[in-house]
Amino acid sequence: MEAVINIPISQTAKESVTAEQMIVFEDVSKFYGEILGVNRVNLQIAPGITSLVGPNGSGKTTLMNLMTGLIQPTRGRVKVLDYSANDPEIFFRKVGYCSQFDSFPAGHTGYEFVYSYLRVHGYAKNDADRMTARAIERVGLTEAAKRKVAGYSKGMRQRIRLAQSIAHQPSVIVLDEPLNGLDPMARAEAIRLFRELADEGLHLIISSHILHEVNKMSDRVIFIKEGYIKAEGEVQGVRNELEEHPLQIVVRCDQPSFLATKLFAEPHIVEVHIHDDRKGLFVKTRNTDKFYDLLNRVVVTSDLNIETVATVDNDLNAVYHYLIGARQEGE
Amino acid sequence: MNAVAIEAPTLGSGWSLWRRQIAGILRLEIKKNFLSKRALPMYLLAAIPVVIMMMLALFDRGMRRGVRTNFAEAMIVFSNLHEGLILRTVIFFGCAWIFMNLFRGEVVDKSLHYYFLSAVKREVLVVGKYLSGLIASCTLFLLTTAGALFFLYLPRGVQANLDYIFNGPGWAQITDYLGITILACVGYGALFMVIGLFFRNPIIPALFVYGWEWLNFLLPPMLKKISIIHYLHSLVPVPVNEGPLAIIGEPTPQWIAITGMLIVTAIVLFLASMRIRRMEIHYGGE
Amino acid sequence: MAVYQHTYQHYAGVTTPLWSRFLILPRYAFQGVFQSKLFTGLFAICFAPLLVMTILIYFKHNTTALAAFGLSVSDIGFNINGFFFRVFTNIQTGFGFLLTVIVGPVLISRDLSNNALPLYLCRPLTRTDYVIGKMSVIGFLLSLITWVPLLLLFFFEAYLEGASWWWENLFIARAVLVVSWAHIILLALLATALSAWLKWRIAASGALFAVFTIPTPISIMVNEMFSTNLGTLIHPSFVLNLLMDKLFRLESGMLPDWMVPPTWSLWASLIVLALICVGLLSLKVRAYEVVK
Repeated sequence: MEAVINIPISQTAKESVTAEQMIVFEDVSKFYGEILGVNRVNLQIAPGITSLVGPNGSGKTTLMNLMTGLIQPTRGRVKVLDYSANDPEIFFRKVGYCSQFDSFPAGHTGYEFVYSYLRVHGYAKNDADRMTARAIERVGLTEAAKRKVAGYSKGMRQRIRLAQSIAHQPSVIVLDEPLNGLDPMARAEAIRLFRELADEGLHLIISSHILHEVNKMSDRVIFIKEGYIKAEGEVQGVRNELEEHPLQIVVRCDQPSFLATKLFAEPHIVEVHIHDDRKGLFVKTRNTDKFYDLLNRVVVTSDLNIETVATVDNDLNAVYHYLIGARQEGE
Repeated sequence: MNAVAIEAPTLGSGWSLWRRQIAGILRLEIKKNFLSKRALPMYLLAAIPVVIMMMLALFDRGMRRGVRTNFAEAMIVFSNLHEGLILRTVIFFGCAWIFMNLFRGEVVDKSLHYYFLSAVKREVLVVGKYLSGLIASCTLFLLTTAGALFFLYLPRGVQANLDYIFNGPGWAQITDYLGITILACVGYGALFMVIGLFFRNPIIPALFVYGWEWLNFLLPPMLKKISIIHYLHSLVPVPVNEGPLAIIGEPTPQWIAITGMLIVTAIVLFLASMRIRRMEIHYGGE
Repeated sequence: MAVYQHTYQHYAGVTTPLWSRFLILPRYAFQGVFQSKLFTGLFAICFAPLLVMTILIYFKHNTTALAAFGLSVSDIGFNINGFFFRVFTNIQTGFGFLLTVIVGPVLISRDLSNNALPLYLCRPLTRTDYVIGKMSVIGFLLSLITWVPLLLLFFFEAYLEGASWWWENLFIARAVLVVSWAHIILLALLATALSAWLKWRIAASGALFAVFTIPTPISIMVNEMFSTNLGTLIHPSFVLNLLMDKLFRLESGMLPDWMVPPTWSLWASLIVLALICVGLLSLKVRAYEVVK
């Protein structure tokens, strides 16, 4: 098994969060008979938006189901804000889960669906009414609320499930592929809602395949493949740790040959190509910080004029490709 | 979509919360039990004895039984109908359908996880679901028994019936039959709920129970006691002849039959609670 | 894209004839059915009574083999006649019911719960083809354990007995064929109709049992209370058994004479039940679902 790359959100964030505010997986494994769900997962998830990223069947939903007690770990322990799912009466006041099951109790309108389960929580009629209206408003379904869920489009069903999971105002919201089936406008709205909820101090655990949107909204990402956690932390941090994949940077400047000679002197520089038009170069480095230090020094001490500096592969797509896609191909 | 934080109301704890939660579960379940398409077979089943008794009341003119003129014979006919059709068939299959559907039906519909994700203890969920099944089955099958009794009494005319009910044994018989119906729902309900929870394919155990209950009259006295129909049989106001092959056992006293049934039901519900605490959501294989 | 670059071409080869297209459904169904060890085991057991039957017929006509056991033909206390074939037909149709309980409930319910009906019906396959295809799964399986082997054994017996036995007992062959097909059609219709209406496989199996068990007390009670034989007609099992007795030219031992309705009414009750099943199938087997 390879070492897990673990990059905290930031030192300050880590220090300010206590165990009671974290979602903790302690050596958690889940087997379905002989089939591996997830294995030896150790995680500490702080407030904010944490995205679970991985290919189909990698264990994302298993991880979410374990988090919410829909399945029991074969080994290990899961605590959410120091609560266990074995005590649902307390646990689910704090946790809401919008699962991937696209199914509903028969015959309900959107409003009744959300309202009924709030009554099951134990909320009185007036409170349940108010909370239902609020949750449905949040997901932008007020106009369709009185229609039968069976007649909803896929996107509307997704939104009403989202409303049901946030209606009781939990502190932790677990969302399995919440952007599936939403049109671009609704997706943007959903992401804005997630961001607002996260800014209120909530935990949002989101699984998604839409990488550029994950990139846009997440505070941290957990990469999972074949039941193992491959990396976790901020995308930038994870990217910097991928030593076998040097960071690729494009620099457009007036003296690429001069800059190239400076760069070659540095041990962290792996490769330099001067562009055919001789107005820029392509650099591969194992240490981004040192590269930028060097670049600053060169600019200050010489008459080098830099037009642009752009990284080629430090986004989530690239990290996903290196961590999950590339190895998959190589296997 | 917009997010403006509002304070969530407090839920409290203990009995007052559980009462509200059970009311919430009943709200969902009773609607499902009475108004869904799944309820249709129950209505048809429950109507059969009433229709038979109605036909008997309307068309038994000079037929073999002569129930219009011979009330003693009519009582025997009803007693057979109550045990053979209402208890052993309508309530048995009705409770099997209602109570096995409480959890298995949700698994088939892939909606059980909504309950499991609610802030409600799973034991409270078991009690709520069981009560909802009990309300549905009792309502339906009490109506069946009451309807059948109504058509039993109908041909005799109002005055004779009033005399029989208020100055004779009629009232005790009516309450006995209704009480037995409730007890049957309580017992079979608990049994089928637990079968539905423990067995992925509950048909085989349910058929075994069906055979066991039907062959109860052939069983030795000790084994007879391990059945629901034995206790219900002990309570009937007009004894039912079990046929020449029956092995006659000592009837169980009424108070033992009732308390025994309730205790067994409580134990079965406890087992159901234990089971559901460890239950996981896997919808795939259904 | 320029027209000359369009390389896509329609399939221009030979297609399955329309009339036999429904056979695609049982072909794939059998693959799934025989993956179940329970089913395969039961299917194998279904041939055990036929083996017993073959041995009995063989011994009845083989004095040498009987002599090896110290027996003679007169020691064998049975005759190969209508009763003999009726008993084994009853056993085989009973096994047929059990096979149907295992195979039948998933036939349509799986397609419905996976929203697969539109996929079937958007191809050149009509609703009737679809239903016949599904029913033929039960048809083929039950044929293999009922009329096909029973008729072979009838011919075997006729071969051993000679032409006169053949002409005198031709009604047995007719009875085997008619009774088997009555069972097959009824079970196939019931199983597919229940499968179309009950998503839950277990519930569909239970309902199939219920169709043959719930009417027992009802029909007896109706007969007893109203001194009629109409109650018998609501019980498919009674009806099939009484028809079996009549076709094999036997006295009915199952019910008292006054409870036995005329033969035409037995057939009529089966036809009504079959029509109800067809109606249920026609309501449910559609390429779309009405959302309420």
